[in-house]
Amino acid sequence: MDLLLDFVIVGVSIGIVYGLVALGISLIFSGLDIVHFAHGELYMIGSFLGIAVISFTGVPYFWALIGAMIITGVLGVVVERVFYRRLTRGGGGYTVAGMGMIICGFGMSVALQNVAYLLWGAAPHPYPVSFGMPIFLGNIALPKSYLYILICALVLMTVLHTFLTRTKLGLAVRAVAYNKDTSYLMGVNVPVMISLIFGVACAMAAAAGVLIGPINYVQIEMGYLMLLKAFAAAVVGGFGSLPGALLGGILVGLFETLCAGYLIASYKDIYAFLLLIVVLMVRPTGLLGILVKVKA
Amino acid sequence: MNRYPPKKTGNGVRNALLAFTAASLVAGASAASAGVIKVGVSLRMKTETGEKYGQMVADEFEAINAAGGVNGNTIEVKLLNDECKSDIGVANATKYAYQDNVHLFIGSSCSSVSLPIVDVLHKAGVPMLIPHSTNYKITLKGSPWVFRVPISSRFSAAAAAKYTAENIGTKIAYIWASDAASQADAQKFYEYIETYHGELPVYAEQFQEGELDLRAHLLKIKSLKPEALMISAQSQDFARGLVQSYEVGIPPSVKRIGGSAASNRPAPILSGDAIKGVFFHAAFSFADPDPKVQEFVKMTAERYGVANPDHDFSQAWDSVHVARVAFERADLALTDDSLAADRAAIRDALGTVTGYVTLGGGVVDFCADATPECRDGNKTPVLIEYTKGGEDYELRVIGKTTFDADFGLAGMEEEAMKLRESLDN
Amino acid sequence: MLSIRGVATGYGKVQILRGIDMSVSEGQIVALLGGNGTGKSTLLKAISGLLPVWDGAIEFEGEPIQNRRPNEIVKRGLTQVTQGKDMYPAMSVEENLRIGAYTRRDRAGVTADIGKVFDYFPVLGERRRQLAATLSGGEVQMLVIGRGLMARPKLIMLDEPSSALAPRIVLDIFSIVNRISRNEGITILLVEQNVRMALLLAEYGYVIRDGVIHIEGDSRDLITDDNVRLAYLGGTVTDAGADAGTGLAH
Repeated sequence: MDLLLDFVIVGVSIGIVYGLVALGISLIFSGLDIVHFAHGELYMIGSFLGIAVISFTGVPYFWALIGAMIITGVLGVVVERVFYRRLTRGGGGYTVAGMGMIICGFGMSVALQNVAYLLWGAAPHPYPVSFGMPIFLGNIALPKSYLYILICALVLMTVLHTFLTRTKLGLAVRAVAYNKDTSYLMGVNVPVMISLIFGVACAMAAAAGVLIGPINYVQIEMGYLMLLKAFAAAVVGGFGSLPGALLGGILVGLFETLCAGYLIASYKDIYAFLLLIVVLMVRPTGLLGILVKVKA
Repeated sequence: MNRYPPKKTGNGVRNALLAFTAASLVAGASAASAGVIKVGVSLRMKTETGEKYGQMVADEFEAINAAGGVNGNTIEVKLLNDECKSDIGVANATKYAYQDNVHLFIGSSCSSVSLPIVDVLHKAGVPMLIPHSTNYKITLKGSPWVFRVPISSRFSAAAAAKYTAENIGTKIAYIWASDAASQADAQKFYEYIETYHGELPVYAEQFQEGELDLRAHLLKIKSLKPEALMISAQSQDFARGLVQSYEVGIPPSVKRIGGSAASNRPAPILSGDAIKGVFFHAAFSFADPDPKVQEFVKMTAERYGVANPDHDFSQAWDSVHVARVAFERADLALTDDSLAADRAAIRDALGTVTGYVTLGGGVVDFCADATPECRDGNKTPVLIEYTKGGEDYELRVIGKTTFDADFGLAGMEEEAMKLRESLDN
Repeated sequence: MLSIRGVATGYGKVQILRGIDMSVSEGQIVALLGGNGTGKSTLLKAISGLLPVWDGAIEFEGEPIQNRRPNEIVKRGLTQVTQGKDMYPAMSVEENLRIGAYTRRDRAGVTADIGKVFDYFPVLGERRRQLAATLSGGEVQMLVIGRGLMARPKLIMLDEPSSALAPRIVLDIFSIVNRISRNEGITILLVEQNVRMALLLAEYGYVIRDGVIHIEGDSRDLITDDNVRLAYLGGTVTDAGADAGTGLAH
């Protein structure tokens, strides 16, 4: 029983991190009609930026999180404006430009990885924070870093949800995500909204990177596996659905941890995709993908 | 000695000419024929540390040249990075063997890279001097071209296992990464415990190299309450496992044990305080008070800015000097036509190197037979414990054991035969 | 109020409009008629800024607006109401209306205007918290018209409000549009395939064909015009003019 609870804690905490990255992928998919294959690298860069903020300014971990989110968000906007804009202008999805965009995303992933290599080298970096020993609840260990992940992710989700549902700007973001032309006709400045969407998505990835930092090391190659898992999470939850992305992340995290725990632990990375396949077979739209994504 | 060593190669006429000049200038240098001994080096130079010991290998050979070379011959070193990836390592070895026509190959760091390179160089007939790889299978393949400076996992793991069994306990959980060295370390460890203490592993699982999340394994291990936990993996994976083992709440009373890669510099830096009390086996410790060791440490600190070199450093250094001894003993013609003969001569000369005392204190003894007994050079693992983690980590030596050359080979005839068959195909 | 002179545009390299001239005066309801693929929607996109104008000029209240961004044009008081399928299905009815008022800053006015839309279309008021995806076809059409009103436009361009709706509902919607135009003093450019219905509502009409204005005149004249009657008054225009080669009666 204790073991099960341990697994649940671990699964949910890692799942939330998947969810944060998946959220960005989902947001970009709805906003720009593209699957952003360089998102793992923004997660990696965000994580490195967290270290940079701590070592340059000496601020506490929480402010490093905010700092990394802001810098990565701005970086995301620059990447979108300078590189992606001319491609997405021609349309996304299954159009020719959409295909070009996929290639461009892969290219950006390689480019960003090499930029990070130049800046930080290939060696893994430990996170300059220590949370000390976990809190023990009887036999169950609850590491403080997990609590941090849980709290930060909840706060971020609440802020994002409030922004999207309660503010005018958030309403416009949702409108643009659904249909750019119509939103233009509503008087929404669509290019600015697209930049905003991209920036927010990248900031979320950075948050995930900073949150995972103390558990794993930061390394330039950390992005690709995260991208795959987050992608699985986004699809499981329903591509384009934001609550779905978070739900998908938690499900993927829980599923793979429980399977690794009770089946064969060495195949951990396979379970996420197993879940993906099963969900796609049973419910091709993903769990929450039906109402939200009526888009043709 | 020859004052005009040719710097560049590739021009037979010029080499011959220089050889002629050298011979006429330096009377009495018997076999000296002022040629170029070409050495190809392929190491894991993915990290800053790796780049530094790679540079050190090149610098050491240059120092030999500057001191007059070997028997009047100069050594030309080429350095390639294999990133600890087997495909890159094989490509490097192939290039060295067939394109650069090297006389000696030094490499690689990682066992998973060295293993396939053995096959490549066996076919090409190039002597291979291994500076870091510890997997016991490398020499078990039985290629006459292969020589290993470091300590085979059949010795080192046993040393750690013996210490653990006698001082800590035999209820041990194991997780190991999928790379060849880590796998062999763990396997040899629990085989020893099983053979000599009759205790089966409490938990034994492999994980993918580079796996970020080991907590599923560790949580299960926690519930099994072992006396010790061995995490056998390359330094980053090891450090990650170590930190996560505390995170999931495996109590500090459970002794953490590392494989040979636990000594690599990134491990204590990455794992911080979590590494305190962890012990591992290695060929060398910078904490060794031996003056020779301290001189070496001073050298790496001054020249490469590494104040606490690991055994990758020391063994890279040892490999250069083992090679030098072999070059001195080999009768080399060093012309374009004598490539195969020169390679064989270096191989045979390596087979005569005995009594070379490594920086770590172990003695490298090679012999002519293509057997693990002959080709696993160093047989003296050192057991080392971390007393402090982080950037300025500290170590202490807790013991040294020397094994017989044939230790751990009993019952491995079948595996050896299979490996040899695959080598000949 | 809106004057279009010699406008030419198209998609990529394909030219659709070959010099359109037309004008809409303040307070008028003007109908733009034509079959599928004649360039009606293209013209709307050019006016609202979604498509670049290759040649010619579009003036709104005396100022050139061609090649301006759509959001700027909306701010000037020119709103396009797209077809019903362009509502936001994942948003509630009220959110759909609010996004229509995106350019406005007066919160109180927006809330008051939402009330006004519910007055014109009581069924929307009943469903204000429902997701737009749950509405029927006629309700969706009402929603997009209401959404267009939320910007407080001076001129509203309605793109085929009758498409895919039952005639009785079309009649309802048209009569409400008529009422809105009168009460709010909004000028309307009505784009339709349903010629008879459109000409009953409008005062003036243009017929577009092959990217040029083919016929224009007062609605009463157009209804009785032989050409129009022959070509279009079978009911809805389906393919008249769509196929340039058939050369229907002139």
